[in-house]
Amino acid sequence: MKSIAPTAPRSAEGLRFESVTATRGGRTLLHGIDFEVRPGEIVGLAGRNGVGKTTLLQLANGLLAPAAGRVLLGETPVRSLGRRAVARRIALVPQDLHVPFPFRAGELVLMGRAPHQPLVGLDSDADVVRARTALARLGIEDLADRSVETLSGGERQLVLFARALVQDPEHLLLDEPTAFLDLKHRLEVLGEVRRFVSAGGGALVVSHDLTLAARTCDRLVLLGEGEVVAVGRPEDVLTPANLARAFAIDAQIVSGPDGRLIVLPMLGPGEPARD
Amino acid sequence: MIRLTPARLFTVVAIAAAALVAIVLGALATGPAPLSLTEVFRVLVLGEGTDGARDIVLGVRLPRVVLGVLVGAALATAGAVFQALLRNPLADPYVLGVSGGAALAGIAVLALGGVVALPTQSVPLAAFIGGIVATGLLYWVSGGRGGSGPTGLLLTGVVFNAVASAGIVFLASIAGFFEGSRIFLWLIGQLSAVEIDAAGLVGASVLLGLAVACVFARSLNLLALGDESAAELGVPVESHRRILLLATSLMVGAAVSVSGLIGFVGLIVPHALRLLIGSDHRLLVPATALCGAGFLVLSDTLARSLIDGRELPVGAVTALLGGPLFIVLLRRSQSRSRLP
Amino acid sequence: MIAAMQSGSPRQRCARSFAFAFAFAIVFAFGVALGVAPTAAIATADPAPSLPRLVSLNPSLTAIVERLGADEALVGIDDYSARIAPALADRPRVGGLFDPSLEAVMTLRPDRVLLVAGLEQESHGASLRRLGLAVEVFENERYEQVLSNIERIGRMVGQEARAAERIDAIRAMRAAVEHAAAGRARPRTVIVLDRSPLYLVGGETFLDELLAAVGAINLGAEVAKGYPRGSLEWLVAAAPELVLDLSPQVETEGALAFWQRWPSLPAVKSGRVLALDATRVSLPGPDLDRALRELAIAVHGESIEMAIDRALAPRSAP
Repeated sequence: MKSIAPTAPRSAEGLRFESVTATRGGRTLLHGIDFEVRPGEIVGLAGRNGVGKTTLLQLANGLLAPAAGRVLLGETPVRSLGRRAVARRIALVPQDLHVPFPFRAGELVLMGRAPHQPLVGLDSDADVVRARTALARLGIEDLADRSVETLSGGERQLVLFARALVQDPEHLLLDEPTAFLDLKHRLEVLGEVRRFVSAGGGALVVSHDLTLAARTCDRLVLLGEGEVVAVGRPEDVLTPANLARAFAIDAQIVSGPDGRLIVLPMLGPGEPARD
Repeated sequence: MIRLTPARLFTVVAIAAAALVAIVLGALATGPAPLSLTEVFRVLVLGEGTDGARDIVLGVRLPRVVLGVLVGAALATAGAVFQALLRNPLADPYVLGVSGGAALAGIAVLALGGVVALPTQSVPLAAFIGGIVATGLLYWVSGGRGGSGPTGLLLTGVVFNAVASAGIVFLASIAGFFEGSRIFLWLIGQLSAVEIDAAGLVGASVLLGLAVACVFARSLNLLALGDESAAELGVPVESHRRILLLATSLMVGAAVSVSGLIGFVGLIVPHALRLLIGSDHRLLVPATALCGAGFLVLSDTLARSLIDGRELPVGAVTALLGGPLFIVLLRRSQSRSRLP
Repeated sequence: MIAAMQSGSPRQRCARSFAFAFAFAIVFAFGVALGVAPTAAIATADPAPSLPRLVSLNPSLTAIVERLGADEALVGIDDYSARIAPALADRPRVGGLFDPSLEAVMTLRPDRVLLVAGLEQESHGASLRRLGLAVEVFENERYEQVLSNIERIGRMVGQEARAAERIDAIRAMRAAVEHAAAGRARPRTVIVLDRSPLYLVGGETFLDELLAAVGAINLGAEVAKGYPRGSLEWLVAAAPELVLDLSPQVETEGALAFWQRWPSLPAVKSGRVLALDATRVSLPGPDLDRALRELAIAVHGESIEMAIDRALAPRSAP
């Protein structure tokens, strides 16, 4: 039996955006997008609401076709791969999922094995062990037999993350994976993402928490109105000028006690500051 | 962690199959004619017994039970499939108007077929096409992708049903073909031993539909999470959905062509089973088929033995059972969707 | 079947009113376009001044009017009447049995509207009366009712003599077949009006009385009065010696092939499954004598004709 750890070492290929134009409903959201998620790194994706972050994730796993440019996995356009082939190599963790049927959390996690399983058949012992391990790593074994309908938003996010790990991909795409999570679980999830990339995978993480992004991401892609504002290491991207362009705010960037950056939005007059 | 092992699959299917066999035997032994269990046993197992007993058990009760099994399995399975594809636990071929579309097309052929010399064998085919068209319209109106909420979908179904019923009565009155009672039976749904001539065609359609639903059961699990989730997990959504809808419409069309509009089987059976055995379609689909068959045979046995020498349409029994459940489910889904 | 539709068990009535509710909406919507306009155009043909202008909403009443030689009086008929009386097919139509159009009837300015008591037609009758029309309600479930209908219509169209002649002929035929059938075996019989759903001739109907007259036992009377929906299992268990199939399907499929599915039926074993023309036998109209003769032949075979004719002879000889 092969290794059953959810973060098996792999020979991943980079996930590359080449001059991509992203449209949604005929409206151009972003153009001239150029960046790559290389194996072994976490890339953060930040920008204002509605700027096209989720659209970028859908371009990344081939659910949407770019209006121009290419999204490549290695040298192959993602859209030219079959859905199953993509699903074996790229896993997406959505912000949330409405499940209208009482599936159990364990069943939902096991569904992550689908791209590796034949069309017809039950889950193998190895599949089940993988699912159990992923649940255990996130400390949510006790949720396995609960109905997904009864889980809290944060619990469901953890279950969806476990599903993506079980999918055993080369790249993880995470859409605000920590939005509903408490601090402890935020760190646990980001720790798992780090472990995943250390084993040779790549991760693209949408995040609104720039301080957290600065601490966890190797590189950041900062999106502004219609274009990429900056790509690079957090300390190069997170500058007051870039933040002003991307968010139209004043911000100070300071060094924390561990040398990592802290982003402090500055509140002007009339802003909801405490006295 | 509870998982679907081969043993669990086998146990559930075996229990459901055993229950179906028991219901079928009970149905064969029940009826207005005073036949003792011994006589029924002699006919069924030993192949002997008086001519009269043989005719009643094999010539009257058996055809009806066979049709009940086929139609019940088809409608219940179709309900489970529609629920997954539309991500709506209230979906049912009858509620959605798919049965209505099938019935309308079937009756159009029955009523007008004489004019253009269509054989009666084309009725199931026409019903199938009617079912497909209704399903297609349903998808088109709901914006595809199962995106619209339960209310929009159900409204569409209500309108389809009204149009189909009106169309059926309209066709019947301009063709002068049906008498009132026969239209009524098409609209309420009933099983008749006479329709057994079509059992081969119906059986083949139902088996095909069931086979497709079983083969694509894992895809149904994923599609039940939504098209995007399914695509992210490697399901070629469009092709799988098309295959499932075609096979299901075929099943519904075949069932409707021999039974008319029997309602709510596809609602009651999958709903009850989800509570008992969970939502995994690899287990749910075969169990739904078996239990749907058992449920309809049981309902029909009630329908034909409640009043001596007379018959109630089985559709009345299923509607009386299913209608209230539907209201409860609708109420619950509405109160849930009001939550943030 | 047509006869059976004019009245029936409560369930049948319920079925019909259900269908009617749907049909009404459609007829209401399309009535103007499809029904009323052409009717109004034809409505100019007037009967001779001595005859009343009649609209008949029932095939059996239409048949009586026609048989008494007063078809000129019919200024409008329903669709079913047109089917059983092809000679009248060009008369203005006012709709089907369940959905006659009030407006179409009004347009024809009838002196009298003839209809049969029954759930839907009763309410039609009430509406027509409110609109100021004279409505004549008939009952035609029983033998004697049919005879009195002939007499009443005879008076209405001034053909009392012909009506009396008809009634005498029917009574004579009844006496003759009763005489001819006396002493012959009385087969246990079912009359099937429709196969699927199965409708039978039950008790307290004119067909039940005609069957008794020709010397047969109507098993359907065990099920219910009127024209009940029966179960196939009941029919097989009742083991009829004679099946008279009046269902619409006999035209295309014949009778025996269908009933052979249940080979234990004594009627099938002895080949006594007969297809009869429903319009000749089951219409409670002016030709019950013909119905009696055909039923007698069906029950006892051709040989009974001579006996019937012998029994009729003393009357017709002088």
